[in-house]
Amino acid sequence: MKERILQTLRDLRAYALEKGYEISLFYHEEDSYLMRFANSAISLNTNEHLIRLDITAYSGRKRASFELITDLAKLDEMKRGIDTAAEMVEHAMPLTYQPTVAAYADSFADESGYDQALAQLSNAERLDYFNTVAGDLETDQLKLSGIFSSGTNVLAAITTRSEHTQYFKTSDAQVTAVLAHEAEKWEIIAEQSAYRKPDLEPAALNRELSFLLDRFQQDPRQQLPTGSYDIVFGPAAIADMVHFMNWIGFSGGSMKRGFSFVAEDKLGQKVFSDKVTLVDDPRLLDTYPFKRDFMGMERNPFAFFDQGVFKGFAWFQDDADEFGAQPSGHTVMHKSLHLHPGEVKAASLEELVRMPRQKDVLYIPFLHYMNIVNPSKGVITGSSRFGALLLKADGSVVVPFNVRLTQSLLDIFGDKVAWLSQDTVACNQSQSYGARNPVAYVVPRFMQVDGLEISHSNPSF
Amino acid sequence: MLDQIRQQIDRVKGMGATYVDCRWYPFEEQNYLLMWNGNLKVTAASRESGMGIRVLYKGAWGFSASSDMGDIAAVFDKALDNARTAAERVTFPVRLAEKDILQASFTSPSRVNPFEVPLNEKVAFLKAMDDKLNQKGVFQRSADLSFMRKQIVFVDSEGSEIEKNITEVFSSLEVNGLDAQGMSHERKYKLNRQGDTRGWESINPALFGENAERIVRELNEMLAAEDCPKEDRSVILLPGIMYLQTHETIGHALELDRILGYELAYAGGSFVTLDDFGRLRYGSGKLTARADATLPNSPGSFGYDDDGVPAQDNVLIDKGILVGAITGRQMVEEANVKAKRQIFDGSGGANRATSFYRVPIERMTNINIDPGSDGSLDDIIANTERGIVMDGDRSWSIGSNREQFHFGTEIGWLVDDGKITKVVKNATYKGDTVKFWNSLSAVGDESTWQVQLVNNCGKGQPNQVMQLGHGIPVCRFDNTRIGE
Repeated sequence: MKERILQTLRDLRAYALEKGYEISLFYHEEDSYLMRFANSAISLNTNEHLIRLDITAYSGRKRASFELITDLAKLDEMKRGIDTAAEMVEHAMPLTYQPTVAAYADSFADESGYDQALAQLSNAERLDYFNTVAGDLETDQLKLSGIFSSGTNVLAAITTRSEHTQYFKTSDAQVTAVLAHEAEKWEIIAEQSAYRKPDLEPAALNRELSFLLDRFQQDPRQQLPTGSYDIVFGPAAIADMVHFMNWIGFSGGSMKRGFSFVAEDKLGQKVFSDKVTLVDDPRLLDTYPFKRDFMGMERNPFAFFDQGVFKGFAWFQDDADEFGAQPSGHTVMHKSLHLHPGEVKAASLEELVRMPRQKDVLYIPFLHYMNIVNPSKGVITGSSRFGALLLKADGSVVVPFNVRLTQSLLDIFGDKVAWLSQDTVACNQSQSYGARNPVAYVVPRFMQVDGLEISHSNPSF
Repeated sequence: MLDQIRQQIDRVKGMGATYVDCRWYPFEEQNYLLMWNGNLKVTAASRESGMGIRVLYKGAWGFSASSDMGDIAAVFDKALDNARTAAERVTFPVRLAEKDILQASFTSPSRVNPFEVPLNEKVAFLKAMDDKLNQKGVFQRSADLSFMRKQIVFVDSEGSEIEKNITEVFSSLEVNGLDAQGMSHERKYKLNRQGDTRGWESINPALFGENAERIVRELNEMLAAEDCPKEDRSVILLPGIMYLQTHETIGHALELDRILGYELAYAGGSFVTLDDFGRLRYGSGKLTARADATLPNSPGSFGYDDDGVPAQDNVLIDKGILVGAITGRQMVEEANVKAKRQIFDGSGGANRATSFYRVPIERMTNINIDPGSDGSLDDIIANTERGIVMDGDRSWSIGSNREQFHFGTEIGWLVDDGKITKVVKNATYKGDTVKFWNSLSAVGDESTWQVQLVNNCGKGQPNQVMQLGHGIPVCRFDNTRIGE
């Protein structure tokens, strides 16, 4: 199949050259499966097999693109797509800068993130997995929800600048399991991310849910007063905040457009706590990495923050072209972000709860519906969800109703950071809008930040 | 193709399926252009075709989709196979509310097909808008055009066959500026419903030109303004933010699949329970909200939903009391059984899918608020002692059960003793949903009512983006926390 895909791209390139077009071709093939659970049943079992071809035509400083959902057998349709893009570009308006067309120096293929056993999971295996996660936790009132999303992604590219091709193939799985109390409206969650089949451990999710379930069923509930708290964030919350930082923190284009809380003069300056080191590390297979970007640049570990010091912006090729910057190998669908661990031993929620503490600590595993309130100040807002706990100094546990946090990322990752855990987790951040694009960040399992403000507190679940 | 589809539906029914439907998209095309700071950054088009098959087997859904029309039997088989697996874990067997069997068609109103307008004409429009926006104080500026056109052929095993031809047009202008402290602020104009049709004729250069001048002027006023105070005031929401308040805290909260727990692992649930219908005082007596898919010329009006049910106008909240929800065939049956009473009389016709490769789910249609009797915007301001007028959607974050929210708006105008006193920046407000809607103290008349278009409502797993509308008046809410 790989050779058929690449030969199709070479044939299309030959067609474009014959017609005198300047083009780049980006092939995306997904085989996606999603089993969705709700109310302890499979509410939907779905799959799609889709092939997209994205054609970008260039003419001097003009650029236009045409995408079609197609099939490898439809070469004529793809050629017509090339004609359409070439016709569109003639009517486009020149950019004020020269867009760069990739010229691959050699052919490159990476299938290191592909695991056939994961890619070929059966319906029965997905169902078995969820049945193991559920174990005997479900009751008339406690209902299981979640997803088991898995699939294969193939990306390939060629341009008229060179005969060489790029090819990437990955497998991925994202599991979310939620137990929700129908009458009381509380929910707890356990998640898993996998790039190979052995990463799937349903028993581990069952253990996590069991522990949280005990807390939610046995411990008192409480509306927290608003005000200052020492907060331990769980991996999903940390990954989500890193995701927003990726957007409004260290993107060169966002910075130039005034949509970033990190200015150019912060290069080499301390921005965050010296406990914070954030690296784009394409060596980490559990992040579904790109070892080369779509311009053909080799990707190596790239530090954005090293012990709190800002080291550099990520420059997407088009932003680099527009603002006269050097591209940094970040012309990819996603980065492989790794927030380095700290020194505190806490490898599970159980261990976190058992840790001795001088003050009450609020544990927030998940921030729901996070959004940017003020990009220039890095202010974000979101609500706790899925199993927040107030860990009291005396060792007892209280289950708080959900709270809202509206705070700057500069504070959250700044000098208020108390500690990060030694243990890290690959936290799946994939969305299924449009083309499949598996993405995960590796983050510490826990990060404690002292003195953050809770601005709103729910009176009930 | 239609004959093949009918044959396959019969074949799969013969294999034990209790219901089968097919949505065949002979084509769906899109065109998107974005001009940013004078650069035509995006000139993009796309075209796709394919079909999605939904099979109900022993009370469970299976779905499969493909763009490969060469072997459609395989797609039907896969959908059945998926349903058979799903049937191994059923807690409430799916059943579908009765519906009329229809042979019908629907075409959205459009005079000039935007896909037949030459590209250079579209580019010229964007360039003209870019020139208008390129003014003092503007640091970043953008103008975009987005067009969609699709044909959907729906066939089901109950005998319905419906063809839909839908054209959508969206467009917006945006300016950003930096204040003296280097903080970024934005102001936008989004095309709302214009006239009776929504083809290329919706793109009225004079209208856009006026609004370009307005948003530049307002941006500059904001750049010189103080921050929004942190205090309690009455908030007067203009349509540019009132639509979002309605969308997030009435629309999503009243999707019946959310209420029944079908979105719990992702988008969230709803504070609303089945016991609340007919009983919950959702808002003050001034609030009447409806899901109206019959409103002419809106993306939330589509003739027939993807269950094959005709579009309807259903009241959701009647003078403050919760009476209805956004519903499809499956969920109303389940809700009535679980509530042990007849809350819903059949499907509300709101089950839609974003594309051939996604399954239909409950989606907003046009979630509207009826105009009130509190006069014009000027009247409402004149009758407000201590308030703030807000407009524009800058950020939004809502609790997982839609029980509370935090909205950031683009601009605020403080009101004291019935008069606007000054512009403020970073105008935000927050609240608890039911308490907030019960603080609704004024609803503007027809002069304040307009239909805002939404092209990016996200929901579901796999994720889906849907187009819809909100017909809303200016509204005032009392004792609201602002500036946090």
